[in-house]
Formats: sequence, C-alpha cells, structure tokens
Amino acid sequence: MALIELIQESLVKVPLTAAHKDDIIRELIEVLASAGRITDSVAVYKAVLARESLGSTGLTDGIAIPHGKTTAVADLAIAVGVAPAGIDFDSMDGQPSRIFFLIIAPPDKSGPHIEALAEIAHMVQSASFRRAMLGSRNAAEVVELIRGD
Amino acid sequence: MTQPIRAILVYVDGSAQSFAAARLAVVLAHSFGAELHSLSVVNTRALSDLVQAHIFLESEREEYRRDLEGDVERYMAKLQEMGRRKGIIMQVHKAAGTVSMEIESLVKRLGIDLLILGEVAEIRSRRAELFGETERAARNVPCSVLVAKDEDRIGDLYDSI
Repeated sequence: MALIELIQESLVKVPLTAAHKDDIIRELIEVLASAGRITDSVAVYKAVLARESLGSTGLTDGIAIPHGKTTAVADLAIAVGVAPAGIDFDSMDGQPSRIFFLIIAPPDKSGPHIEALAEIAHMVQSASFRRAMLGSRNAAEVVELIRGD
Repeated sequence: MTQPIRAILVYVDGSAQSFAAARLAVVLAHSFGAELHSLSVVNTRALSDLVQAHIFLESEREEYRRDLEGDVERYMAKLQEMGRRKGIIMQVHKAAGTVSMEIESLVKRLGIDLLILGEVAEIRSRRAELFGETERAARNVPCSVLVAKDEDRIGDLYDSI
C-alpha cells in the first residue's frame, strides 16, 4: 500500500506545539484519535513507549519515526507532524527532531507496516524533501509534498 | 492452435486487490485449462533497508520477519482454499527477498506465460511509480502481464464457475 493512500490532511499537524518527547508522541496520537483512526489512545501510547524503551526512534537529520504494534488499531494508521523549532527526541545524531511520522499497526498487518516504513525511509533521505517539509505552512502542503515527492 | 495460456502466476501480497487478482487467476485457469501458481514474498529486503536506516532494531527485524512469515502462511492457506472451492489446484509458492526479483525469478523458473497482479492505487506519487515493486516486476518479466481490475465483476466471475 502506497503511503499516499494513508496520508490525509486530517492526519497531519503543522506545527506541532509540544516541547517534550512524550508530549510530541501524545500530540501525534491525538491527531490519530481526532481523525477517528484509533479508539484507545492509552493502548497506542503504551505501544509506542514500549518501542521507545528499546531505543529511540529519533534518527538523524531531524527525522523521528516513532512506531508500535497494538491490537488497538484495526488497520495501519499514520500521523505526520512538523515541529520547526525542533525538540529533543534522543536522536542518533543528538540534534533536535523536527519531522515526525507516527506509525501504528495491528500485529497481524506487518506487511503494510513495513512497506510504509520503507517508503518513509526512502523519502526522508532526500535533503530537499526534508527542507520542503520544514518549510510547510499547513497540512495541505505536507500532503502535497508526500504525494509529489 | 496451441494452448494460449499454459501457466499462470498470480502475485499475492495480502491486499484485497491481490486476492481479487487471485480470484481472476482461478477463473482464467479454469477457462484456459492452465496450470495455476501463486507467489507470496516475505520482503526481507525491506526489513534489511529498515535496519540499515536505523528505523528497526535487529530484534525488530526478527520479530517482523516472523510476523511476515505468518502472514504469508495465512495467504497460502487462503489461496489453496480459493482454488479448491472451484476444483482448481493452486500451487502456492513462498519466497523471501526483494518482491520484484522473486516474481521475475519464479516466472522464468516455471515458464509462466501470464503474470496477474492486483490493481494499483489510482492516486500515486511519482515516488511510488518509480519504486513500486509490482510495477517493477511488470516491467521486467518476460511474459505477458494482466492487471486485475473491478473487484465486483471479478467476484461475480469467480462465483459463476
């Protein structure tokens, strides 16, 4: 399943307003809840934290991809957020994280989960894509970027 | 005239579109009296890419690989039943690696003369067009390729045999 099929404006928040790692995760989970993609925010939060406890999903170049598996979702759910000021997400390069992809998948749908992650991994390798994401002023621009990358 | 279609391969990734393709494959195998094969792939290439990109930990790679193996086993059982219901033997194949390469390899090894793929999404990014594994397989295989569309009609065709 192509990522573009999953991303809609209601699943994107620009800018994210939280200032701390846990709060950013909560804010992204709230995006999914508001869009009706999840019903049990607590279970989703626990799944994401369980993964974070193994090692931070803050990567390099301002990218973070928190993810987790839980039966609290029936289908793959993705939220995207941009925090232009950057927050400390325990990233690999020690730099603030600014672009966030939250991915939640049910345990029996690992295939789409992996495909989405692989697609994001490819996308964020592009410096111009990252720059454009950081320059996005609203959700529509982010969706357009992901669609047109 | 020689038999136009002797061996059909359908690629199934677990999506609704790919199972529609499998139903169409059963219909065509029935009509042509063709051999029918299916392929599902544990995408270990994607797992390796995710570890390399530091998105997955090694422990996650193994966990997800087991999940994917389980998914593929479920698809295979469902496909065999799909064929059996219509008196068609579907030979199910499982592979691990890069999807497009595994499809191409099996097409060549079995002498497949028709590859059937599920419908791709209507809205696609340029990236998806460039990097879609099934699109790549469609370009590279030496046989004809059929993209199954209209799930309702395919369902009716399947029910009618």
